[in-house]
Order: sequence, then C-alpha cells, then structure tokens
Amino acid sequence: MKIAYRHLVQHIEESPSIEHISDKLFQLGHEHEIDGDILDMEFTPNRGDCLSIYGLLRDLAVFYTVDLNHKIFSEKLNELQLDFENLSENICPKISFLKLEIDQVPETYKNSLDNYFKDLGLNKNNFFTDVSNYLSYETGQPTHCYDANIMSGKLLFHEIEKNEEFETLLDKKITLTGKNSVFSLNDNVINLAGVVGGKRTSCSSNTKIVIVECAFFQPEAIIGKSVKYDIQSEASHKFERGVDPECHDKVLRRFIKLVSDHANIKDMSIISYKYKDNPTHQIPVNVKKINQIIGINISEKEYLNTLSKLEFVVEEGFIKVPSFRSDIKTQNDLAEEVARVIGYDNIATSKISIPNNNKKTNHKAIENKLRFFLLDHGFYEVINSPFVSLSSEEAIKVDNPLDSNREYLRTNITYSLVDNLLFNERRQKDSIKLFEISDLYSSNNGINKKRKLSIIASGRVGENYKDFSKKINKEYLLTLFQEILPNEVFDFKLVSRDLLDTKIKNEIVSLEVDINSFSSDILFYKEVSQSPEGFAQYNLISDFPSSFKDISYSIKDYSKTQELQDLLLNYQSDIIKNIYIFDYFKNEKKEEIKIGFRFTFQSNKATLNSAEIELIYNDIINKSLNISGISIPGL
Amino acid sequence: MELLTSFGFEIVDGPEIETEEFNFDMLNIKKSHPARQMHDTFYIENKSNLLRTHTSPVQIRGMLEKKPPLAFISGGKVFRKDDDATHLPMFHQVEGIYVDEHVSFSQLKDLIYKIIYALFGNDVELRFRPSYFPFTEPSAEVDILSKEGKWLEILGCGLVNPVVLENCNIDSTKYSGLAFGLGIERIAMLKHGVTDIREFYKSNLDFLSQFK
Repeated sequence: MKIAYRHLVQHIEESPSIEHISDKLFQLGHEHEIDGDILDMEFTPNRGDCLSIYGLLRDLAVFYTVDLNHKIFSEKLNELQLDFENLSENICPKISFLKLEIDQVPETYKNSLDNYFKDLGLNKNNFFTDVSNYLSYETGQPTHCYDANIMSGKLLFHEIEKNEEFETLLDKKITLTGKNSVFSLNDNVINLAGVVGGKRTSCSSNTKIVIVECAFFQPEAIIGKSVKYDIQSEASHKFERGVDPECHDKVLRRFIKLVSDHANIKDMSIISYKYKDNPTHQIPVNVKKINQIIGINISEKEYLNTLSKLEFVVEEGFIKVPSFRSDIKTQNDLAEEVARVIGYDNIATSKISIPNNNKKTNHKAIENKLRFFLLDHGFYEVINSPFVSLSSEEAIKVDNPLDSNREYLRTNITYSLVDNLLFNERRQKDSIKLFEISDLYSSNNGINKKRKLSIIASGRVGENYKDFSKKINKEYLLTLFQEILPNEVFDFKLVSRDLLDTKIKNEIVSLEVDINSFSSDILFYKEVSQSPEGFAQYNLISDFPSSFKDISYSIKDYSKTQELQDLLLNYQSDIIKNIYIFDYFKNEKKEEIKIGFRFTFQSNKATLNSAEIELIYNDIINKSLNISGISIPGL
Repeated sequence: MELLTSFGFEIVDGPEIETEEFNFDMLNIKKSHPARQMHDTFYIENKSNLLRTHTSPVQIRGMLEKKPPLAFISGGKVFRKDDDATHLPMFHQVEGIYVDEHVSFSQLKDLIYKIIYALFGNDVELRFRPSYFPFTEPSAEVDILSKEGKWLEILGCGLVNPVVLENCNIDSTKYSGLAFGLGIERIAMLKHGVTDIREFYKSNLDFLSQFK
C-alpha cells in the first residue's frame, strides 16, 4: 500500500522527517520502501487495521503526538427507508447504508481529496467513487457506492451457490461459481460482496444521488475470491485482513463531510443494521507474565502507559482491546505490542542453555556414511524435483499440479538422474558420477514411503592421470562398493541409450537401492572428504560451449616436474575453466617423465573462437618452456 | 545441523506428505488462511493429504511424542505452489523448537545471535523486526546487513504460540517455547553469492564442482 509522507506527517505535531518515521515503522514491524515522498508499505496479514492513514497513525502514536480527530458531520441524520434484507447475518453481522443527494457534481477537488489523487498519481473515476476510495485510504474502511436512481427494488445480501454471470464495474465479465457472498437487486447479482461492485448499479460522472454501503464481512467469506476471479481489489485486501466493525457511523459521517466540502447536499439519510454484538475482548492485566515472555523487567505503570497509547483501555484489572485490533487475544499478543514499542533490537539478550540429555546422536548415520563414501570417490550429490509427468501405476497424483508435465510424484530417482546425466553430457562433460538420496512415495493401499539411494555414472572414471583412460562400467562400481561392503550384493544396471537423445556411446551404469537395505558395515568406512572450512564464492556458470586442448611435456630433469605443475595448475585466465593432469608416465630406462595437461576453455560472455584460445594456449606454452629441462615433443 | 546439535538440539524427521491437521490446524493456521488455498499448497489424492509447506509439522509430531523440556531441529524438503526466478515449488528448510519453563524472547535473541554469528561471522550486523506467523507470538524476522549496505532477510523466529503448545497437550501456563526457521537455499545463496535459486537443482557439474 502506498502512503504519502505528507498525508501522515500533517497529523503529527513533531513533524518528523520521512527517515525518522521510516525507522519507527520498521521498529513497529511495518516493512516498507521509500520512493521519494511515498512510503510503499507491506503489512503483515494480521495488521489489517494499519491499512490506512489513520491506522498507521494509531500505531505511530506511541512515538509521536498524533491528531486523530478528523472532521466529521456531527448533526442528527434522518433514517433511510431501504428495502433491504440480510439472509447471511453470520457473514455480515453489521451493515450501514447512507443515501446522499447533491445539487451538482463538483468539477474539481479540494484539500485532502485533491492531495490524495495528486500525491499518489491516481486516476479519478467519478465523484462518489473517488470519495469512497479516498475514505478507504484515510480510514481503512472500504465503502461501495451505488447509483441510487438504479437501485429500485429489493436489495438482498445472501450467500449463493450457483453459477451466475456477473459484470464488474471494471468491465470484466466473470462467472461466479461455488459459494459466494453477494448483494442482489431483484434477484440479479449487483455486487460481489467485499470484492467488487457490479457495472449495472455503479456510479457515473452524472450520479447525483448515491447509496453508500458500509459493511463488516467475516474475512473467511472474502478470502480467496479476488484471486479466484483474478480481480485486483483493495477492498477485498482489507476485508480479508479484517476491518473495524465499530467504525461505520464515523466513516459515513466523514463521507458526508467530504461530500459537503465539495457540493451542496440536498438530502441525506442513514440506516444501520447490527445483527450481532461485537464483544470487547478483555485480557487480565499481568505485567509479570509480560516480563516473563519478553525477558525484561518493566513496571506495570510503564506497561499500561504503552498500551494506552495504542488505544487499549484498562478497567478493573482488565485490558480492553480496541475494536480495530482483532489480532490481539492473549498475553503473548500483548507482549508483542510491548516488545514492538521497546524495539526488538533494544531488548537485551539473556543466555540460553539447552539441556543436553537423552539426545539421539546417530541420526541417519548409514546414509551419511554412504554420502561421504560416494563423495570420496568423485560422485556429486544432486537433488531433483519430485514432480513428473509419466510414472508408474502406483504414483501419487497431485490434485493441483503446476502443469501437466508435473502431475505425479516420481516413484524412482533413476529417471531424474538420467536427465541430469544427459544435461551434463550436452555440456561436454565426459566424466559424470552422480547420486541422489530421497524419499519416494507411492500409493498402494495407503501411502507408502521409501528412502532410496540412486547412483548414475558414465564416461571416464576420473579427471586425473590414473583414471583418465579408464571407462566407467559395472565392474568399476561393483569393485568400488565391494571394497567397503564385501558381504552385500549390488544390482548395478546398464541404462540403454537407445531411447535417449544422445550420440555418446559410453555405458551408463545405475543403481537404485533402499537405504534400509545397507548393513551397518558401512559405518566402519573412514571418510576422506571433510566439510569445507570456509564458504566458496560462487563463480557464474557459462552457458556457452567449452572446448579443450592438451599439452604433453617431456621432462628430463625430474626436479622440474613440480615447478611445471605449479605453473600450469595455477595458471590464471578468464577463459580457462579447468586444468588437470590426464597423463603421467615415468620412463626409468629413458630417464624421462611424460606428463600431459588438459585445459578446458570457456567464456562467460560468448562462444570462443580459435584465435582467442590460441592466444592463451601459446602463452601457456611459452611460459612453460622457460623452465629448463622440459620440452614438448612434436612442437 | 551440526551447529544446532552442538547447541543441544536433537534432529527429528517427519514425512513430506502430511495431513492438513499437522501442516495447518495444529499450528494455529486457520481454515481461512490464504496459505491453505489450492494456489499455494499442493494437495494430493482428492485433498486427503498435502505436500508439507514447511517442516513445522515435524515439530508438532515431536511435541506430541515427548514431554518438555524438549529441543528439536528438523530439516528437509518443503513444497509450495510457486515457480519463478526467485521461488521454486520445492526447497529446503531447517526449523528448530525449544520448549521448557520460562523460555523468553531475550533467550531467543541469544540463540539467534549465536546461529547468525556461526554462519556469517561475529562481525555481521543484524536486526530483529516484528513479524507475523500464526504459530509464534511474538514473532520476528531477522535481517543481516550485506556488504553493499542492504538489509537481507535471513530467518523467521518467535516464541511458540501458547495455542500451539496446548494443541500438543503441553501446559502453556507452565511451559513456553521458542522456534526458528530458515531457508537453506537462501542462506546458501547469501553465503556463496549464488544469484539464481534454480542453479541448485540443475545438477550442473560446473555448479556442483564449485562446492565440493
């Protein structure tokens, strides 16, 4: 909600700066951004009472001297004769109608009404609707204006449950479905209660006689309607969060005052229907409890003084909650009020000590050992979305999927890993070893849950000279697992590439197994990998293709091997993404070490051309050949 | 999780498929709450169950099982019906709860300071803002100050709403509790400088290899 700074500050005696008000609003929990002289507010859903100038001022009154007495029409009003019936009193326990007739529609606006449109850059609609909109901004109570000349017949408020066409005053045609609270005139829906009025009875620029409806609707009856019918409605935003059920008379008298500031009122009358009393909520005064909740030590006087500034009334040992604060029900709610006013950041910490007894310490021990075992052997852990299109007969269907491709919960992990593998192969990766641990759910005489480990691997065993020439196959994985779990049987499978969109021929080996099937033997595995000491700074990933170049060296002076490795493995360039030794051979007879380095080139900005790669490649060669005793055969 | 267990929390797990009762009702989330709408929550099998929208139901199950004093943490996948550059339909949360006699907001602050300092270092500046969660009262959101001078929301916390304690058969006149929850991806993004949350789920080796 956008609120102009000057609309607030004109009611505050101390005239604080926008920055000062902003600090106080944050302290009170009212998040916002400042855009020039506008505060763009984002209120928590329990604070519907703050969705207005006066609502916000009521909260700021704990810090400033605030004038909340706006001018209203204070004389006696005639009773309005209206053919109205409320068939859903539980949804609308209180409603008022005001009828006004003016002699002439004003061409220009004055004072706060004029400022409202100018300062917030809003478009005007018609006089009565404009007053209604401003009043909602000022007081927080939405009102709806009907053109009285069209309102002949019986007006009914009721909840309907039938499909019905309805054209909103925003020229949008919607079909009402399910349960809806509506106003009907002669059996035709003219207003979707609390959300949007109908076009047929809305005011126009010629309207001189208006019926203003001012109601309290139970939030439960309004919630979700604007989303359901895709209607942007400030009124529903307020009704959903709860409005003040006791404000009708004041709001409608303010309406009269605003109209009278702009036109001569020829006739006016009002009627209010109250079907159910709104009981005042009362909470016992208990400052000890408040101090206990927050962890502070304030006096009762200080406590009650704070609450009185927020319009709470203390009587006979009870705190009476103002009618606009439907969010306050318990001592904890009151404690939050006090804490907000003190400022959360101003509340001192007190040492916490959680008793450490009878705690389980081996949480997911087997799973974590497996995780480390795989990480130690060059596997990467991935996490995939559980939503899939095709699945088994036992797959659980989502009632409201994001789309038809994500209609079911997956019943295996392997299919997700195959997708991950192909994704990486398309990015020129030739050594891919992935695993995922996840719960899987299926439906067969109830919901069944299994926690599974799935592995997929293809390509080179590793990006190092020992594993570079070795290809991943079933035997490789079996050997790996049997080293640590010699007594267990693993059913590694080959995934056929026949139906996959790929030209790569490497074998794809997979395994999917229930975590519970692993024996505790795995707990004897001593992990090599350790949690990183610091946090790595992420380098942006390029979506441009990569390419590689190999350089093979002959080293006669063994002592230079380390120098060469230090130079090349630490070579810095924006377009080099990876460097590793793919070949190493020490020929004792020839007294020579042969060592091969692979360089992967990739840019974050564009596809690299050969000249860009050659520039870096030649620099690497020149720098490396400066080391005496090494050569590049064939160069 | 290691950090939190070192503070005295015990790790508990719970199902990703939950009932409305545990995911919403027991946590004081009213029938009319927007989060319960079909456009926010994934329901399954004709609305008989749902995919949990937070890890809080695990704590409910824990509180029903054990008597105070108790201190649980639970982590795992949660699901919300969102899918755009900054929101995913599945992400990860860690939540903690501690219930004992005389647990106060000032103790909650102490715990949060310890967590944030452990994650971001003792020099980080943080602030507490009043907020709203149906299951905590008072509620707070905690921001840290970035190097660029911008406040970034890092976690939500509060004192367990007495209604929730009573729902779990815990005498709220004797016991009080604190609770906190944080989004793992959000913390990881801030810590590592990852700008797009979707990167965590692409299984891209160029991404994964940076964090091994």
